[in-house]
Amino acid sequence: MNVWKISWKNLKSKPLYTFLSVFALSLSILLLLGVQQIKSSFEYQMENNLGDIDLVIGAKGSPLQLVLASILHIDNPTGNISYDEAKKITKNPLIETTVPISYGDNYKGFRIVGTTGEFVHLYNANLESGRDVEKPYEVVIGFAVANATSLEVGDTFLSSHGLIDNDFDVHDEKFTVVGILESTEKIIDRLIISDLQSIWDVHDHEGHDHESHAATDHNEHHEKQDAHNEHAHDEHEEHNHDKHLDHEDHDNHSFINEEDENHTHGDQDHESNEHEHNDHKGDNHEKHIDNDKHEYEGHHHEEHEHAEHDEDKMITSLLVSFRNPTGLLTLPRSINEDTNMQAALPKYELDKLYNYMGIGLKTITWIAYLILLISGLTIFISLYKMVKERAFDLALMRTYGATQFQLIRMVAYEGFVVICVAFIIGLTLVKLVLPLMLKFAKVMPYESTLKQLPFKDILSIGILVFLIIAVSIGVAVYPIMKMKVSEILSDEK
Amino acid sequence: MIQIEHLKFQYKGGEHMFSFPNISLKTNEDLLILGKSGIGKTTFLHLLAGLISPSSGKVLIDEVNISALSQSRLDTFRGENIGLVFQKKHAIQSLSVFENLKARLYFSKKSFNDSKIDELLVELDLSSHKHSKINTLSEGQLQRFSIAMAVIHQPKVILADEPTSSLDDENCFNVIDLLKKQAKQNNANLLVITHDSRVKDHFKNTVEL
Repeated sequence: MNVWKISWKNLKSKPLYTFLSVFALSLSILLLLGVQQIKSSFEYQMENNLGDIDLVIGAKGSPLQLVLASILHIDNPTGNISYDEAKKITKNPLIETTVPISYGDNYKGFRIVGTTGEFVHLYNANLESGRDVEKPYEVVIGFAVANATSLEVGDTFLSSHGLIDNDFDVHDEKFTVVGILESTEKIIDRLIISDLQSIWDVHDHEGHDHESHAATDHNEHHEKQDAHNEHAHDEHEEHNHDKHLDHEDHDNHSFINEEDENHTHGDQDHESNEHEHNDHKGDNHEKHIDNDKHEYEGHHHEEHEHAEHDEDKMITSLLVSFRNPTGLLTLPRSINEDTNMQAALPKYELDKLYNYMGIGLKTITWIAYLILLISGLTIFISLYKMVKERAFDLALMRTYGATQFQLIRMVAYEGFVVICVAFIIGLTLVKLVLPLMLKFAKVMPYESTLKQLPFKDILSIGILVFLIIAVSIGVAVYPIMKMKVSEILSDEK
Repeated sequence: MIQIEHLKFQYKGGEHMFSFPNISLKTNEDLLILGKSGIGKTTFLHLLAGLISPSSGKVLIDEVNISALSQSRLDTFRGENIGLVFQKKHAIQSLSVFENLKARLYFSKKSFNDSKIDELLVELDLSSHKHSKINTLSEGQLQRFSIAMAVIHQPKVILADEPTSSLDDENCFNVIDLLKKQAKQNNANLLVITHDSRVKDHFKNTVEL
């Protein structure tokens, strides 16, 4: 028998109180730790996923949406932009590198991002196995994708249209996994990376008006292009394109990829194509339908008569990093004012988002503090009540030879047992419940990247809880120090 | 062995000065102290137990002047050498009979085999309640349990404050017998302070306050 055992028995003799104290304290610890973890994970994700990206250029729309889609890969893109026009911007001397990305498909919910080799370098991601993408329909997959889908180098898969996993809208093209990336704990872990060509091919094949926003953008783009009177060249290409649509899939890719080649060897086709093209121009709708098994494809072209040029090289956005920070001041403005694209600063947008989220997190934090205060009060009241009600027992223990300090310890240990149990429960719940909660609530699409709570944070919350409870205990045991054994024992009659 | 010399006590702010008779008890001697309510019986007992310090005079237990001991020394001395029995029976409510006795030994820094506790429980007819919680005991059982708590650590002095006043005749005499028996076994002095004249005939030495 010792003081610890007596405290423990005391707690066991009042299970309801003990349960309530532990419950309230665990809850407040859970909230405090949970908020802290979400906050630090969120900040970490933001910082980490930003990489070297200073600016995102995409279709007009919500800048936040553009950033979420292009940087965190969680929202839908705002639309598409012309690759050619985006490329014009890259000539700006302030710009160090640009990485185009293009989307449209997913495999089991993981986005397939068409991009260039530079993309991987933005995240300092290295290959774990296999090699880089060299040809269309080859992909390198992120670490989390490999884990979740069990895809290995050499495996092939069919992509689904759109950004959400589905079974009914599956493309015919097979992607081949040629490489798997090492874990980076960044968003790239959850991406499937192909070249731009694959994305373009898949969607040319599928049809232009598949995505309404894309069509609108085409339209805008075409008007502008028309104004440039570039239709001589465009006609030629468009022409080829129309013809091409009547052909097999694989031709499709060679067309865009080897544009120049088409120009040269296209000479021999030119005569015949010219003819076909003229028909087209002359609104020979019927003929077109007859020739074209992709009926709606033709229709689309009819609707936008001026759409006769290179309209296929669309990208979702262009990720830009600057050589010099002054680029941040001048370039976004000129893009937003002078082009039909928009430039968004990811750091700024994410800070904004973080501030919105911060209000919610702050509220939860205050609630957690309130609960902590209440649990402190609960523990205080319970211990104080015990000291007062059992004054005779305590006085009796003094006559047994117990020192004042032993009695204080006896009462204090009760409080500390509650803190320790509550802290362990709170911590366990954070570890177990939080990932589940996020998974079910789909707060973050990549729960696997929920960051470990830094020990520093656990410690500071632990110290805070400890201090509050220590004060409660200190106040509760104060009467013991003032206890007059003789008076209490005399009071019995 | 107890010696009480010129013991006087005055409560803080109180006008009345209690003065107590000189008493000298040899080992194994018992004493009954009789007195009406308000005469200072409990005060006298608390002075003997060192729970309060006298205004003047001294209490010697085994030739130790407990009135001169420091607070912590006194706590230790009391825990080791004095056993107290109260009219109102209290104990650590969350512990069983057995656990209370263990706690009692722990606080008085004495360790005995559990068999010693078992023996005592047999003597006091409490062995069937060894693992009962305190609040499940009957009045008579509680009083016997109080005796167990007062003697388990083998004290030199057993001080009993109105141990019988709430008991019927049968239990009353039973308790006095048990107290005397335990005192004898431990070579302890037994001092019973009471206004209960039923127990008068059971003691050889009687002092009236």
